[in-house]
Amino acid sequence: MRVAIAEDSLLLREGLTRILGDAGLDVVASYDNADDLLRFVRSFPPEVAILDIRLPPTHNDEGMRAALRIREQHPGVGVLVLSQYLELGLAMQLLSESAEGVGYLLKDRISDVEDFTGAVRRVAGGGSAVDPKIVSTLLKRRRNDDPLAVLTPRERQVLELMATGASNQGIADELVITLRAAEKYVSGIFTKLGIPSTRSESRRVLAVLLFLRA
Amino acid sequence: MTVVARMSSAVGPARGPGPWALWATVVTGFGTLVASITLAMAGDELVRPGLQALLFNWITVPYLISGTLAWWRRPASRLGPLMITTGFVMALTALQWSTVPALFAIGHLLDLAPAAMFVHVFLAYPTGRVEGRLRRVVVVSAYATAVVLQLAKILLGLDPDSPFAVAAQPAIASRIEQVELITMSALLLTAAVLLLVRRPAGGRARRRPVALLVDTFGLALVMLAVLYIAGLRGWQHVETVRHVAFAALGLAPVAFLLGLLNARLARTDVGALLVELREHPTSDLREPLARALHDPSLTLAYWLPQYGSWADGEGHPVALPGSGEGRATRVIQRDHEPLVALEFDRSLEDEHELLDAIAAVAGIALENSRLQAELRARLHELQGSRARIVEAGQTERKRLERNLHDGAQQRLVALALELGLIASKPADDAETKARLVRAKREVTASLDELRDVARGIHPAVLTGHGLVVALESLAAQAALPVELEVAVGGRLPEHIEVAAYYVVSESLTNIGKHAHASSAVVRVVRSADQVVVEVVDDGIGGADTEHGSGLRGLADRVEAIGGRLRIWSPAGGGTRLEAEIPCE
Repeated sequence: MRVAIAEDSLLLREGLTRILGDAGLDVVASYDNADDLLRFVRSFPPEVAILDIRLPPTHNDEGMRAALRIREQHPGVGVLVLSQYLELGLAMQLLSESAEGVGYLLKDRISDVEDFTGAVRRVAGGGSAVDPKIVSTLLKRRRNDDPLAVLTPRERQVLELMATGASNQGIADELVITLRAAEKYVSGIFTKLGIPSTRSESRRVLAVLLFLRA
Repeated sequence: MTVVARMSSAVGPARGPGPWALWATVVTGFGTLVASITLAMAGDELVRPGLQALLFNWITVPYLISGTLAWWRRPASRLGPLMITTGFVMALTALQWSTVPALFAIGHLLDLAPAAMFVHVFLAYPTGRVEGRLRRVVVVSAYATAVVLQLAKILLGLDPDSPFAVAAQPAIASRIEQVELITMSALLLTAAVLLLVRRPAGGRARRRPVALLVDTFGLALVMLAVLYIAGLRGWQHVETVRHVAFAALGLAPVAFLLGLLNARLARTDVGALLVELREHPTSDLREPLARALHDPSLTLAYWLPQYGSWADGEGHPVALPGSGEGRATRVIQRDHEPLVALEFDRSLEDEHELLDAIAAVAGIALENSRLQAELRARLHELQGSRARIVEAGQTERKRLERNLHDGAQQRLVALALELGLIASKPADDAETKARLVRAKREVTASLDELRDVARGIHPAVLTGHGLVVALESLAAQAALPVELEVAVGGRLPEHIEVAAYYVVSESLTNIGKHAHASSAVVRVVRSADQVVVEVVDDGIGGADTEHGSGLRGLADRVEAIGGRLRIWSPAGGGTRLEAEIPCE
C-alpha cells in the first residue's frame, strides 16, 4: 500500500515514515510542503496522502487547500489530514461532499500506533477516519431537545464509533460483541433516529455527522 | 487679547493718500472737465462738439472717480493711482481740439497713450501689478507703440504744419501710422483674449461681479481695436464706432465701482458675523466665515505648535496650500505665532480690510477652534497608539502560538509517538510496558493542556481559515445551544476577525457562567462600512458591565480599533451585546 506524506516537522515526518514502514505500509514520498506532494500525487497517485494542515510557506491553510484539491482531482486517492487543533468547521469542509476516503485526525493519534495505522488503511481503502474528539464535541453539544435521548448508553457508544468511521467489524471488536450484534445495534440506531439507512460504511459516517451537527 | 492680522506675503503697511492728494485730484479733475468742454465748444475741429465732449468726459471722469476711491480704499494696490493717471492722460488728449499749434501737438503726441494705459489698467486688475510674462510683453509693447511710433510719425511730418515736424516725409509717416494702428489693434485684441482666458467661472456668488468686470474690460478693448481699424480703413460709420467704443471704455470704471461697492456690502456681513458668533458659539467656524466672505470655497487650517504642523478642524494634518491657481492664502497670527490660515478665492486677495475685520471679529472663536483641532489631533494620536498597542499585542500572541506549535507541541507529539512505538513492540517485561503506556498517556494529557493554552493565546484557525470556521467550533463547544449566523462574505481584515472572535468567545463564556440562559444567538453581519457582531441570550439579564473585567476588556479591544460595544441587559430580560467594528 503506497503512502505519500507532507509534514514540515522533520521529527514527525521521520516518525510517521517509521510507524507506517513498521506496519508494512510503503512510504513512497515524503515532503515538507504541499506543492511537492501535489506534484507527486499528479504523477504517481498513491493509495493515500497524509498531510499536515499547517504547511509552509504561510502555515495558514496550505495543507487544507492541498487536501481539498486532491479530493477533487484524484478521487481515488485517500486523504488523511493531521492537525494540532481540531476544528469542526474544517472537518465539515473536508467531508462536505462525502466521507469516502477521508480522514481528519489530531496529531496525537499517531502515537496510538495500531489505531493510527488502522485509520490510514481504512482511508486508503475508501473508508473514513474522523477524530473521536470531533465526534465527542458533536455528541456533547448542548441541545434544547436532545434527539439522542432515545438511545441506550450502548447505542450511544455504537453511534460514536460509527461516526468516527469504524466498520461493523471494528465496532464489534471494540465493544467485544459479535458482528451480528453490532449490525443489530446499527440498524436499531438508524431506525430510532430516523436516519435513512445505508449499507456503505463511509456514507453512514457523513449521515451521522450531519445529523449530529444539525 | 489682541489679534494681529498680517499678510503672509511681505507687504508692508501701505499709507493711503493724504487729504491734500485727494482734494488735488478732485480739483484737477474738475478743472479738466471744464477745460475739455471749453476746448470742444471753442474749437472748429469737431463735428458735434457737445456729444464729443460728453463722451470724452464719460471716460475721464469715471476713471478719476474710481481711481481716487480705489486709491483711498485700497492704498496697497497700485490700481488707484494707475486709473487716476489714465484719466488725466486721457484728459490731456483733449488738447488736440485746441487751435493753438503747440497745445494741439502735445495732445496729438498723447493720442494713443490712453489705449496703452487701458491695456495696462485692465491687465493689472485687481492687484495693480501686471503678472505673467505675456501680459507684461503686451503692456510694454502697447506703451512702445503709443509713444515711439506716434513720435516717429509726428517727427517725420505726418502733419507738415506741426511745430514738431523735423522732416517732410508724409508718405513714410502715413505708412508708420498704418503700422501703428494695426499694431495697437492687435495688442488690444490680444489683451482682450488674455482677459477672457482668465475669466473666472460665473458659478460662485463671490465671482459674479468679477466676471462682469472682465467682460466689460474685454468689450472696451475690442471696441477700441475696432475703432482704430475703422479709422484706418476710413469706414463710413467710424463716428458711430467711436461712440460705442467710448461708451464701453467709460463702462469699465463703472463696473469697477460696482465691484468696490460689492466689497463694501460684504463688510456689512462682518457685523452679522459678530452677532452670529456671539449668539451661536460654534466649533465649526468655516461655515460662518465662508458666508461672511461670500466664498463657499473657503478652507481653514489651524496651526498646531505642539506638532509643528497645520491641521483641519478635525485635527487631521493638512499641507498649507500655497497661493496656487486662483487661490490665495492668508495667515492670521496671534502673539507672533501663526493661529489659522485662511485659503480663499483669489478675488478676495485685495480685500485687506474685510479680511482684517473678519480676523478681528473671529479672533477668540478662531483661538477656540484651534484648541479644539489640537485636542482632536491628540485624540487621533491616542487612538492610533491604542490600536498599535493592540496590534503589537496580537502580533506577539501570534508569534508565541506559532513558537508553541512548531516547538513544544511538535516535540511532544514526536515524544508520544516514540513512546507509542516502543510500547507497541512485543516486550517481556509487563511492568515496563505498562509504565510506557502511562508515560505516553501523560504526554498526551500535556498536549491537551498545551493545546488549550496555545488556543487561548491565539486561535490559529482564525488566521488560517477565517471567522466562519473558527466560530463554528466556538458555537459547538459552548455550554448552551447556540444558533450561529455568519454573513461576512469571505475573509475580513485580520484585526477585525480577531476582535469579532474574542467578542463571541468572551460573550459565550460569560453567558455560560452568569446568564442562566437556555440558548443564545450569535450573528455576525458585514455591511458596507462595518461589521456588526451580536450575541443575544434569553437569560436573567442584569449583566455587570462595570466590574466584570471581561466585558470592560472586550469594550477596550473593540474601541481600540475604532469600534463600539454596547450592552443591553435588563434584569430578567436577557442580555444583548452588540459590537460595531468599522470595516472599509
